[in-house]
Amino acid sequence: MTPVLLGLIGLALALPVPALLARIAWPLLVPRAGIVLWQSFALAAVLAISGAALSTALWLVTDDRLTWWRIALHLVILGIGVLVWARFWWAAWTVWRETQARRRRQRHLVDLLGEADGMAPALRILQEQTPIAYCVPGMGSPRIVVSQGTISALSATEYAAVLEHERAHVRRRHDLVLEAFTVLHRAFPRFLRTDAPLVQSKIMVELLADDAARKAVGDAPVARALVTLAGAPTPAGALGSGGAARARMARLQDPDPRNALASTTAYAISAIVLVAPTVLLAVPWMLHALDTLTQR
Amino acid sequence: MPRLGELERSVMNVLWDASEPLTVREVLDSLDDRALAYTTVMTVLDRLGAKEMVVRERDGRAFRYAPALARDAATSELLHAALDQAGGDRTAALVHFARSVDPAEAQALRAALDEIESRTSE
Repeated sequence: MTPVLLGLIGLALALPVPALLARIAWPLLVPRAGIVLWQSFALAAVLAISGAALSTALWLVTDDRLTWWRIALHLVILGIGVLVWARFWWAAWTVWRETQARRRRQRHLVDLLGEADGMAPALRILQEQTPIAYCVPGMGSPRIVVSQGTISALSATEYAAVLEHERAHVRRRHDLVLEAFTVLHRAFPRFLRTDAPLVQSKIMVELLADDAARKAVGDAPVARALVTLAGAPTPAGALGSGGAARARMARLQDPDPRNALASTTAYAISAIVLVAPTVLLAVPWMLHALDTLTQR
Repeated sequence: MPRLGELERSVMNVLWDASEPLTVREVLDSLDDRALAYTTVMTVLDRLGAKEMVVRERDGRAFRYAPALARDAATSELLHAALDQAGGDRTAALVHFARSVDPAEAQALRAALDEIESRTSE
């Protein structure tokens, strides 16, 4: 029974539950708790699926009459469990390596093409009329990059808002949050995943960085900077999803976006999702398995 | 004495402005900084080589250095990465302030802004 339940929980957490969660807006009201919520779902899915494989595999060989098909099936299912984890760590490794390489290249280019600003050591200014503002996060040597076009499009306080926003990304290591979601996204096979956790977590870190910026310079400059930069045309003509900008404006419209109820709920669900399957299903089963093994 | 990063930038600019590969001595002469040692420039060129920004070729007994990619190409690579709108499985190498939105979206954002402006000016 346990393996089936664990498997079902794992599959539910991988696909239908996130799809449902993506439709309701309240996790976006509480970005920090929302990130924890999404993380716990994905992690619980990995744990439950590999747990299901492991317990099925063990169950097949704890029977007294060991037949060849039981052993063969045991090996196959054990293999699936191992594969889930192997895939997870492989995804973690490749995401980390690719991200490091791309950031290193960006840093080299930015350092050679951008001018350093005497006031802020991490700041690089590009002689470019296209409004651009982004950060290259990283251990020890982050960069905040803005173009001349950004500076001329914004007032002094709006510019300060942009820098404060980017500094918050760098300081609070939002890149690690996004990397973790990218790893989980890649770890799940294509037919077993939704884009929702990755997409929503990208929005949530923006909301958190906006919170930091409005604390520093006030609501209106952050909102004005967002409208100015989001409204700027890009040379490639490509359009991003407006979801992030809309969610950010909605949060800026709320004078006090803190929401204790929603965040407590999100934290509580995260804890339940992570702990409950382990305690309710896995522990009794593990005790039973231990029992059987020691009786031999 | 300029900082190492500043020096790398100056050396790179010298190479970008040159019409042909330069020797260490030629780079040093173009830099117009008397305090600068020959070995310093060589170190900087080595570092730029390690970053795959500079390539060197043997010319008799000396090495000549050239940019690995032209200034325009470097700029367009940087901007391409910076403006890349691809989502999904892309690793989060860069975190943007804002992405461009379509005109209808921009209109909605401006309306929301008006509301914030009127609230905060009260």
